[in-house]
Amino acid sequence: MSVLVLLIVASLAMAGFFLAAFIWAVRTGQYEDTCTPSMRPLFEEPVLGTGAGVDGQPELEHSSRPKNK
Amino acid sequence: MESAACSSGFALANNVQLMPNRAKRAVGRPPTLTRVNGTSVSPPSAECGEEVELAVAAARGEPVGGSRTPRRCHHCGARCGRAAAVSEAGLDFCCVGCRAVFALLTENGLGQFYALAPNPGMRVGQSAATSSWGFLDDPSVQRRLLDFSDERQARVTLDVPAIHCVACVWLLENLYRLGPGIGESRVHFGRREVSIAFEPARVKLSEIAVLLDSLGYRPELRLSELDRAGNRPVPGWRQRHWLQAGVAGFGFGNVMLLSLPAYLGLDSLSGPWFKVLAGWLSLVLALPVLLFSAADYWRAAWLCVRQRLVTLDLPIAIGLAAIYGQSVYEVATGRGEGYCDSLTGLIFFLICGRLFQRKTFDRLAFDRDYKGFFPLAVLRKTPTDEESVAISELAVGDRLLIRHGELVPADARLIGGDALIDYSFVTGESEPVPRRAGEHLYAGGRQVSGAIEVETVRPVSESYLTSLWNNEAFRKPRDDERQTLTNRYSRRFTLIVMSIALTAAVFWLAADGRVAMKAFTSVLIVACPCALALVAPLTLGTAQRWLADHGVFLRNAQIIERLSAVNTIVLDKTGTLTAPGPGGAAWSGAPLTELEQSCLRSLAGYSSHPLAVRITEMLRPFNAGPVGAFSERAGGGLQGRIAGMEIRMGSMPWLREGGTLRGGPEMERAASGETASCVHVAIDNEYRGRFVLQGALRPEVDVLIGRLRGSYSLVLLSGDQPREMERFQALLGSKARLEFNQSPFDKLNVIRELQTVGGGARNVMMVGDGLNDAGALRQADVGVAVVEKVGSFSPASDVIVDAAQLARLAEVLSFSRRAAQVVKAGFMVSGLYNVVGISIAAAGLLSPLVCAVLMPLSSATVVLFAVGATRRLALRSFALGKSHRSGRDWAPVGPMECSPVLAEKGNLS
Amino acid sequence: MNLETFRYDNRIVRAFAMATVIWGLVGFSAGLLIACQLFWPDLNFNLQFTTFGRLRPLHTNAVIFAFVGNGMFMGIYYSLQRLCKARMFSDFLSWLNFWGWQAIIVSAAVTLPLGLTSSKEYAELEWPIDIGIAVVWVAFTVNLVGTILKRREQHLYVAIWFYLATAITVAMLHIGNSLAVPAGWFKSYSIYAGVQDALMQWWYGHNAVAFFLTTPYLGLMYYFLPKAAERPVFSYRLSIIHFWGLIFIYIWAGPHHLLYTALPDWAQSLGMVFSVMLVAPSWGGMLNGLLTLRGAWDKVRQDPMLKFMVVALTAYGMATLEGPMLAVKSVNSLSHYTDWTIAHVHTGALGWNGFLTFSVLYWLIPRLYSTRLWSVKLAHWHFWVALLGMVFYVVPMYWSGITQGLMWKQFTHEGFMQYPNFLETVLQLIPMYRLRALGGSLYIVGACLMAYNLWKTARSGKFVPEQEVQAAPRVAHVPTPTGPSRAWHGHRWLEAKPVLFTALAFVAILIGGLVEVIPMYLIKDNVPTITSVKPYTPLEVLGRDLYIREGCVGCHSQMVRPFRSETERYGEYSKAGEFIYDHPFLWGSKRTGPDLHRIGGKYPDAWHYNHMDDPRLTSPGSIMPRYSWLLTQKLDTNALPARLAALRKIGVPYPPGFENGTAQKELQAQAAKIVANLKLGSVTNAPSDGEIIALIAYLQRLGTDIKAAAAPTPGPKTVSVSAAAGTRN
Repeated sequence: MSVLVLLIVASLAMAGFFLAAFIWAVRTGQYEDTCTPSMRPLFEEPVLGTGAGVDGQPELEHSSRPKNK
Repeated sequence: MESAACSSGFALANNVQLMPNRAKRAVGRPPTLTRVNGTSVSPPSAECGEEVELAVAAARGEPVGGSRTPRRCHHCGARCGRAAAVSEAGLDFCCVGCRAVFALLTENGLGQFYALAPNPGMRVGQSAATSSWGFLDDPSVQRRLLDFSDERQARVTLDVPAIHCVACVWLLENLYRLGPGIGESRVHFGRREVSIAFEPARVKLSEIAVLLDSLGYRPELRLSELDRAGNRPVPGWRQRHWLQAGVAGFGFGNVMLLSLPAYLGLDSLSGPWFKVLAGWLSLVLALPVLLFSAADYWRAAWLCVRQRLVTLDLPIAIGLAAIYGQSVYEVATGRGEGYCDSLTGLIFFLICGRLFQRKTFDRLAFDRDYKGFFPLAVLRKTPTDEESVAISELAVGDRLLIRHGELVPADARLIGGDALIDYSFVTGESEPVPRRAGEHLYAGGRQVSGAIEVETVRPVSESYLTSLWNNEAFRKPRDDERQTLTNRYSRRFTLIVMSIALTAAVFWLAADGRVAMKAFTSVLIVACPCALALVAPLTLGTAQRWLADHGVFLRNAQIIERLSAVNTIVLDKTGTLTAPGPGGAAWSGAPLTELEQSCLRSLAGYSSHPLAVRITEMLRPFNAGPVGAFSERAGGGLQGRIAGMEIRMGSMPWLREGGTLRGGPEMERAASGETASCVHVAIDNEYRGRFVLQGALRPEVDVLIGRLRGSYSLVLLSGDQPREMERFQALLGSKARLEFNQSPFDKLNVIRELQTVGGGARNVMMVGDGLNDAGALRQADVGVAVVEKVGSFSPASDVIVDAAQLARLAEVLSFSRRAAQVVKAGFMVSGLYNVVGISIAAAGLLSPLVCAVLMPLSSATVVLFAVGATRRLALRSFALGKSHRSGRDWAPVGPMECSPVLAEKGNLS
Repeated sequence: MNLETFRYDNRIVRAFAMATVIWGLVGFSAGLLIACQLFWPDLNFNLQFTTFGRLRPLHTNAVIFAFVGNGMFMGIYYSLQRLCKARMFSDFLSWLNFWGWQAIIVSAAVTLPLGLTSSKEYAELEWPIDIGIAVVWVAFTVNLVGTILKRREQHLYVAIWFYLATAITVAMLHIGNSLAVPAGWFKSYSIYAGVQDALMQWWYGHNAVAFFLTTPYLGLMYYFLPKAAERPVFSYRLSIIHFWGLIFIYIWAGPHHLLYTALPDWAQSLGMVFSVMLVAPSWGGMLNGLLTLRGAWDKVRQDPMLKFMVVALTAYGMATLEGPMLAVKSVNSLSHYTDWTIAHVHTGALGWNGFLTFSVLYWLIPRLYSTRLWSVKLAHWHFWVALLGMVFYVVPMYWSGITQGLMWKQFTHEGFMQYPNFLETVLQLIPMYRLRALGGSLYIVGACLMAYNLWKTARSGKFVPEQEVQAAPRVAHVPTPTGPSRAWHGHRWLEAKPVLFTALAFVAILIGGLVEVIPMYLIKDNVPTITSVKPYTPLEVLGRDLYIREGCVGCHSQMVRPFRSETERYGEYSKAGEFIYDHPFLWGSKRTGPDLHRIGGKYPDAWHYNHMDDPRLTSPGSIMPRYSWLLTQKLDTNALPARLAALRKIGVPYPPGFENGTAQKELQAQAAKIVANLKLGSVTNAPSDGEIIALIAYLQRLGTDIKAAAAPTPGPKTVSVSAAAGTRN
């Protein structure tokens, strides 16, 4: 079953790689804050030029959402 | 849009919850109100607390502010008084400040701010920008504040308690759009922190602060805390432990993988080479786990060796070394594939257990900080009069009246009166230092001469005050010989375990070599120290929380152990058994003029002695000018000069000290037969009469005594004349010992004597008035200070009881006794577990891996038991009494990341 | 700091979105077609290009790599830019990725019906296309990592981690499994044989599911669900933990596809153990998703996108719970080779991948065109129709799976097989197959509604090809109070890190690749060889290639499992040693027809001849299509030398020079013998050079070698000699 060796070594290489990734992530404080990052994806960057929603209404691009009625 | 409306309401509700008090007043919409207008209120998010609530729909769909009545500020959501509202573009604003911010944001394309949550802003008001931040540009200050700085750019991390919702995060992280030179800014929601990169060349730190302030996100600076190594939560350990856990997990997973075939039985298809390969690979994989993940154990063990100590880490370290050695030997000699699976598994689970333990400890510490607050209150000057406010309500700039013996709650500037400040429990320096008007007073200092008036310059940090309580300066004379249960047990435990392991090994060596190793290691490993280490802190910590919720505040959790040992109770009469409040006080003697009355009132007002307090309450206020040359002697009385009058009030001897008294038969009668405790008054050495104060018992005190007299030997100490001897003898029972005319020093002696007779068999609890009995409280094994609503912080005591809760003392005692029993029981449980586990292990029937799995399990069970039992206990004991502070759930709110800051700001209370 | 102004590339997103919709429809339709062929065999219009055997791989490839693949790229290209606050690393790579991928799909759509296949499930494409895939995938990986490098947001959102895992793992798996030795432009033989090939194939097969159908979509879920629900994910920490959990475990669950096969016992158990362990991380994702929506159910009521999302997550939960269950040996003994597996995978494909893709499309298109969805109502219709379709698909399949599984194992009191004739158990399922087809068509109707809706939406709005945004440059620093200074000094090091990552990534892939080749020649293989097992004769080799070409493996297994119910029905159970010359292995994963491993010698040659001409002549009611072209088409013997040479290269012991000369002669001889046999069976007009002859030769050889161990060897003498020679060198 020589193929086992391949699988084992390949998987170990894989796992090792991800371990390195894990260590990097922790060391660089990726997981310092497990709270704020979950909010960031929710923000849309204001589109330039258009004085984004002077009346508090965001410009079209952001306000686009399925009709709810 | 109904969903929107509700979630918006919810968001606001949370603003209300989470903003510091000033802001709270601004966004004056009660949570209850807002919850009404929505059907589905989304429950809190797992980590970030409920504050993270979006209502984009709301802001988008409806013209915000307009549709809902009454009109609300489009920016901060505060009610706009019909008149006050400033309008712009059809939107209402409560003030110019809010409108300014709105304009600023929209001009810079940040209008989306109002779309992320309805009225997400912070009340700004006109005052905002006025406060000067100039001092931030002072190099010395910057050195302390900046995380980093070079000529090109700098980075500062500021506390912004006002951060409360997603919109805040968004706005603060878009700060760079609002000013030149500001770069990337990142919010740490949990810590309510924002760290901002900026170019010193283009923008000054003070400007940034002003910008934040003007936006309503007033940064909170903690220069002095930085000196005190900061109370910012330091997750350093977490980082390392997660890493260790990760590495261990990785090693464990893969080693298991290589060992499983062996478990499942290798068959003809996979040849011998596989076994060898697996063996060596496992060894390699186990190495980093052993060296890195288990590093702490090596370190700890090494320490033990160096300091000739015996701790629980030692056996574990030995065990680990043993297993790995064994494995290397087996693989190298080809006898087997070793125990790397067990080893890595063991370490992995050990680390998980430790992570769990750490979290629990943190939580306890954190709870102590924020549950441990006691209702400190101070007198705040108002234009007309004084009002007593909880220090959490204090704002910078408030004017406070600090009376003799009271604590300076926050860094403040001295305004009136000459201060003599005792910093003994800030600096340990016992010599009081004089301070003159205009000088700076540090929080935690204690005024020891007369009353002074100060103006706070920085906000109060309750946790800081609490920490003072545990200051070295207040260690008990008998603290040293006392050992906590845990220490006592764990030491023995370790020794026993190690001896067992050795004997087992020796025994098996004779019988069967391989088993010997297995038995040895598995004994060392199966012995579960975690349980031992956890039981006490958990139980006591939980208990402490409960007590705190019921108006009984402990200096630290260990006090419970001592409370449980108490068998003698010494009670102080005045102000403890008898309430200053309701007891009637009558003036007997020549009637006093209004001026005289008010003079007396002012003088009495300078003292916090219960009697003085009652007199103050009895007399009508009337401005009589400042008090000069004030002095007070505990057990004696007060003296001072007001409106040109030399006034002494207190005991007869005290009056006489002032010089020969002039006075008629009135005085003679007073000197001879006194029927109740009274305060004599002399003005300019002329005896004027006396306040007769009926020492009325506090409500339910008789019930309390009734409970206590059965199981404790009671002693009553009183500074007053033995007038009411019979009355109290009757109350306390014939066996009780009553002492009158006790000076504070006498009281102390009585207690010392009590402690010494019978070879210290007696554990004395002193219940007294915090300030006047300080000495006694400190001498006693447990000192209980009874504080009025206007509580005066008395660090000498171990326990502070809200006077209203005094009647509960019996419950408290029985509760703590039971709690201590729970601890012992917990030890029993883990002990039992260990007996079983160890015996099996010693028999060589347990594989190290199984042990490794059993360990965390056992800790978990023990912990559950401890907390559960304590909680049930508490529920039983306190079923009757309603929680002391309403709205404070006993379970910590949210995870560590997001809570401490709230706690620190005391917002949850 | 001066702000940086940059543009998000929406064009590439739109391109992938379109491709997703189009290929989705194609894939679904192909599925519907072959579904109908199962109760209406003539639906291939008697064309060889449209038989079930050839279209099934087309269906799976179209759905997995075309539909899900494009959907995945669409989502990644949209979310990655925004999560990193940066445009894609290189527009060139983006478009290389797009057009390359479409080219691959098209070539698949061409080659598969032509019967050019490696016969390895989900890796059927032949080697030139495989290389193409590798190239495109590397382009994608570089683009991904490059974007991550130049990001302006320093935290890597959990979704990005899922993307990274996808890119790297799939690369390794693809290379690992596709290693083959070419024998001509569109023919190759897997370098692994029999058991080993099986293990490798399912290690790949399973992880393809894991890292192509699961991780990227979890990433999309973590981005688009919060966006749609307008609230952050329930527990970010949970998402982190279950990511690492998934990463470290999933890679090992492969072998559970081979339970009770000739795979080493412990390897099977290993697969079982790890598959069961998988439930935890999988459910971590599902619960996290669903809990994110708690309190937003009113939104779910109104927003079709969220509806799709909810069903997707639920389906994911069901599938990930069912998978490990199927991996439990006892369950597997019943479920394996039946429609239960089909039901399982379609819960995942239709529910998880399909619905999630729809949901993302409904959210994305309006935003790309800065408008509102043309008709929410229509979207709701799509939802309900598709849901109904799913139910109609999955339920009958469970039913038929369990029915057939039980019938196979049914014994009478006297201890005989209740249903000795396999066909009986098939005919039972026809109604279920009809229902399934209904379900499928409903699903397609739904998809058409969506296509129309999205088209109208696009028409109603104005496409925003480039979205201009501003952001502050990323100041690399570690926001940790433990040591800001340290953090700052760590800055360069940190910057350098992701580079090191890319390096690591390719090193890992390289190791993956190299390490998988080298030991093949270093380690002496110790699969117990059965002396009587000989290499296939030239004719049989060509016959086997026909078997592969026609995709027989799609319906017929070649693996008799060690159960009485199977040994009674088919004969001696299969041994690992019997497959050492099987490049690739043909164990199969589904028994629409009976197992064929012991078919050799079971029927006379004539029976096979007639059966191929029209199955319903020999077995009335059979749902197998006619293979009449096998009778007419001439056998291509020119390919023989190349193929034999290739096989020798990977260890099949043909003596050197065998292919030129001797091989041809042997072929003729064996063909002649078969023609003679056919004459006995009153088949007179059989051409000795027809493809049918080769196929019959192969079928008659199947599983006979160990019988030969007892009886004297039937195989042509020369071969046995040469084989002996081969085993010597």
